[in-house]
Amino acid sequence: MQERRDTSFPQINQDLLRGVIKTPIWFWLVLGALGMVVLGGAGAMGYLFYVGLGLTGLNWPVMWGAFITTFVFWVGISHAGVMLSAILRLTHAEWRRPATRAAEVLTVFSLATAALFPIIHVGRPWRALYWIFPYDFARGIWPNIRSPLIWDPAAIFTYLTGSSLFVYIALLPDLAAARDHTTGWRHTLYSVISLGFRGTARQWRLQVMGGILLSALILPVFVSVHSIVSWDFGMTMAVSGWHVTIFAPYFVIGAVHSGVAAVVTLLALMRWVFGWQDYIRREHFDALGRLMLVVSTAWLYFFFMEFLFALYSGESAEIALREMQVFTPPWSYFFITFLLTAYFIPVPLWLFRGVRRSVPLMFLTSLSVNIGMWLERFLIFVPGLARKQVFTFDWYTYRPSAVEITIIAASFAVVALGVLLFSKFFPLVPIYDVKEGEVFSTRIEVGRRKVPAVVREE
Amino acid sequence: MARRGILGLFRDADGAAEAVDWLRRSQFSSEEFEVLTGSPYPEGAFGEGHIKHRLFIFPFVGAALGFAVAILLNIGTQVSYPIVTGGKPILSLPPMTIITYEGTLLGAILFTVLGIVFESRLPSRLPKIYDPRISDGYIGVMVACPEERLNEVDRGLRQAGAVDVKWEPGAAAKI
Amino acid sequence: MASSQEVTRHLLGGGRGRSPSFWLLVGVLTVLFGAGVVGLIIRLQGGFHERSVWGYYAATVAYLLTITQGAPLVAVALRLTKADWRRPVTRAAELFTVVGVLNFFLFLPLLALVPSAQGRSTVWLQWPWGAPHVWDTLAWALLVLCGLALLYTSVLPDVAAARDGATGFRQRVSAWLASHWQGTERQWRVQRGGLVLLGVFYLMLFVLVHTLFSSDFAMSIVPGWKDAIFPPFHALSGLQSAVAVTVVAMYLWRRAEGQPYLGRDQFWALSKVLFALSLLWFYFWFAQFLTMWYGRLPIEQTLLQLLMVGPYRVPFVLAFSLNFLVPFFILLWNPARKSILGPTLAATSILVGTLFDRIRIYVSAYSVEESAAHILEQVPATRLPDGVDILMVVGLVAGAVLFYVLAARLIPPIAIWEVKEGLYLRVERLFLRKGVSVVGKPE
Repeated sequence: MQERRDTSFPQINQDLLRGVIKTPIWFWLVLGALGMVVLGGAGAMGYLFYVGLGLTGLNWPVMWGAFITTFVFWVGISHAGVMLSAILRLTHAEWRRPATRAAEVLTVFSLATAALFPIIHVGRPWRALYWIFPYDFARGIWPNIRSPLIWDPAAIFTYLTGSSLFVYIALLPDLAAARDHTTGWRHTLYSVISLGFRGTARQWRLQVMGGILLSALILPVFVSVHSIVSWDFGMTMAVSGWHVTIFAPYFVIGAVHSGVAAVVTLLALMRWVFGWQDYIRREHFDALGRLMLVVSTAWLYFFFMEFLFALYSGESAEIALREMQVFTPPWSYFFITFLLTAYFIPVPLWLFRGVRRSVPLMFLTSLSVNIGMWLERFLIFVPGLARKQVFTFDWYTYRPSAVEITIIAASFAVVALGVLLFSKFFPLVPIYDVKEGEVFSTRIEVGRRKVPAVVREE
Repeated sequence: MARRGILGLFRDADGAAEAVDWLRRSQFSSEEFEVLTGSPYPEGAFGEGHIKHRLFIFPFVGAALGFAVAILLNIGTQVSYPIVTGGKPILSLPPMTIITYEGTLLGAILFTVLGIVFESRLPSRLPKIYDPRISDGYIGVMVACPEERLNEVDRGLRQAGAVDVKWEPGAAAKI
Repeated sequence: MASSQEVTRHLLGGGRGRSPSFWLLVGVLTVLFGAGVVGLIIRLQGGFHERSVWGYYAATVAYLLTITQGAPLVAVALRLTKADWRRPVTRAAELFTVVGVLNFFLFLPLLALVPSAQGRSTVWLQWPWGAPHVWDTLAWALLVLCGLALLYTSVLPDVAAARDGATGFRQRVSAWLASHWQGTERQWRVQRGGLVLLGVFYLMLFVLVHTLFSSDFAMSIVPGWKDAIFPPFHALSGLQSAVAVTVVAMYLWRRAEGQPYLGRDQFWALSKVLFALSLLWFYFWFAQFLTMWYGRLPIEQTLLQLLMVGPYRVPFVLAFSLNFLVPFFILLWNPARKSILGPTLAATSILVGTLFDRIRIYVSAYSVEESAAHILEQVPATRLPDGVDILMVVGLVAGAVLFYVLAARLIPPIAIWEVKEGLYLRVERLFLRKGVSVVGKPE
């Protein structure tokens, strides 16, 4: 960590609480713009509910289209939080410090947004609600726990609960810091939600141990969530291209791929917007770039395995599906775009240190990955369903309607709005973690050179 | 014996560590004082006592409870509504694994969070003499001090290098 | 703390391995290995026309591939992540590359058992020529060569140290091996870069060989077995066993020589990796099992019969318990994870479990009759090992151990340069009132 500039605690507080304490003009402008998009999406949703699902491009046999794709996409993004913050905490990676909170917050908001889509997809969501609350026990009907469609909400509920609590626990010390730097109603608010945290040795001990323990507990949930999402598809026999044993790890690694990229996007934005050059440094992008090299290449291996074994036994259903993905326009264009943007453009670039240390380039490449990863899911679901039937006259295609596109675009605004509002109330970079980094960093002398060093307790 | 809180604020960590040394020499036990910092320090850096906690029990209890509830849900729903779908027998283990797994981990996580809060002795009321400068890097040494020793402790803290010493007003208090 | 000179002297150690018990061990292993070779010769005389008799041999080759050839990756991964505690561990892991040489020659007879990829379902699809035999052999050879290059690059500075310290035969060999090495800054830079590059190549080749071997030499033999997760599962099992075999080697070595360098830190850190990999083992297995179980396709039910619940359910249950349940419940406990014995027990369990796992996969696959059918209809009966099988399994595993022991005799089994580097990058200091270690992070 040789690029660290020695910063004092008041300076850290002032810098990292800036977004919470001051409200610049751009905040209102961006808030307004995002609000408009969200409102537009809500309007489209209302219209969709009023008229019905016929407004979408969904038609037999493609009954799952852009909504479900976007659902899986956001669940995938939500995997960044835990991946980064839990694994890096467990491995004591020093460079995790500024990135963890942003990653966790991204998890919470993207997961909540993802959960919207199945609800929208129900068509008449109030009926779903009506069936569930209050539950009509008298009928003696119970959910079928052998169905993936029950596993999925169970997993997402667990993950959403767990990651929200994870964020909250890690937020406690920063809420205390915010309490100490605010007045008026905000002071009262932070006093209440910081639970009276005051930084005793015991509280810090529990904070650190608890962070590690929660990381270890939430990792298995994180793996299970996307596995179960993949089993929504993989368990079914109807689409032979989905009934693949590798689906679970393939989805998980793909989720990590897109999620880490999303964190890079977010970190770059934070660096620009809040001026946190001293906290989110080039070395962090470098480290994330190296991590993405590994993750993306592992993902490519799983993608390759999935594709290879689709062709393995030469079944006609599989061939038809792959033929549509790879050779039938416009899907073939999507396929090429997907391969290029998800892997073959960004990954060779990341091999260069100069690229990894350039914030704009990392921003662009991380965006590119997520374009590719959205297309990847789209290419799995839609051609799968379009070529599901045996006879060619039952084959069909799908084109998302304007309403669907509006709602999907709005979902990006929802996540952005969530993170923006969060940053208004809570620091997006964990203050105490950065301070801990300051306390624990030191230097040792090797010959004539002073080497940056960290204090290890164990 | 009435006690009052007294807080010494130190600009550097060495002073706080010396204050702790002084407190120990003056027969204060580690339950009677605590060091407040704005960020984690290595455990025992100020010479405070080893922290005992039972955090590791919480996830196990939570996992056991979550497991039990999930198993009950799994079995109960299938037994009360026994319809075989897709040729998968009632009470077959593989699909039951999943809800059980999620339930177990949910229980473990909920209890761990409770455990962290509980073992941190939270929520608690912030002492009146708490000083916001602590989050700006000052280090506080707070002592639950018998009334008759207040002056002595005040002197001791100042000698160790405290830039400010605050007394809790009036009534008896505990920390 | 030891000084740099002390480390060198101690690790190059004059007295190491000269004890009678060492030679006794070598003798016993040689006899066992000889018996294994005899077993192999008997089997070779039987010819290749009946594939099923080769099941246990294939399982042994797969077993050795799984447990030994991933071990260098432990060193590679730890170096890439700059784990500070890795220093005394890496060489113990890297040395397993020498077993790869033996394993490569053991692999060759299997080639005669597998028909050409033409006209069958294989990962080679419509590949025109040489599939799978030529390419699989090539991949495996590259893996072994890359491993040897990796080992040589890592050993070079230590051999130079031996050259400067030793006499007689060893001095001459060392001088030849480390001819140019002087330890200039440029040489160190090249050596480090080389370790990274070779490490990355080794990882890729490792995954490739596992993918090819598991699909060509197990999956494609069973008609109708199409299972995308099986190759990754095979490779993952290789990583799990690699960590396990490293832990066991460290433990035995600590017992034999009272190594002061391999302490609780190393075992503790590896135990966490081992725990994570054991969970992943279950995860990959479960993804495979659940998809096959849930689909209810006749072929998938037959495959579950063949591989898990049918004639090979005993080795399967053993593999499942020893690869997942036992390590899971041992390593779940903090005190066990933090000890030296705990990780070692878990690792031993994994090594035994992996043998049963390979048996249930390969023996079952090889017992399937060759036929023109596209789908497996009849699950063949259990095939128990005969005397020759037992000779081969025991003897060839003993041969692998023999290779390792001899290599550790010739090559300093702790990376001296790495440990020395750690000496000045790790300092014990007082942080206020608490003793802590301070770890330097250059770069």
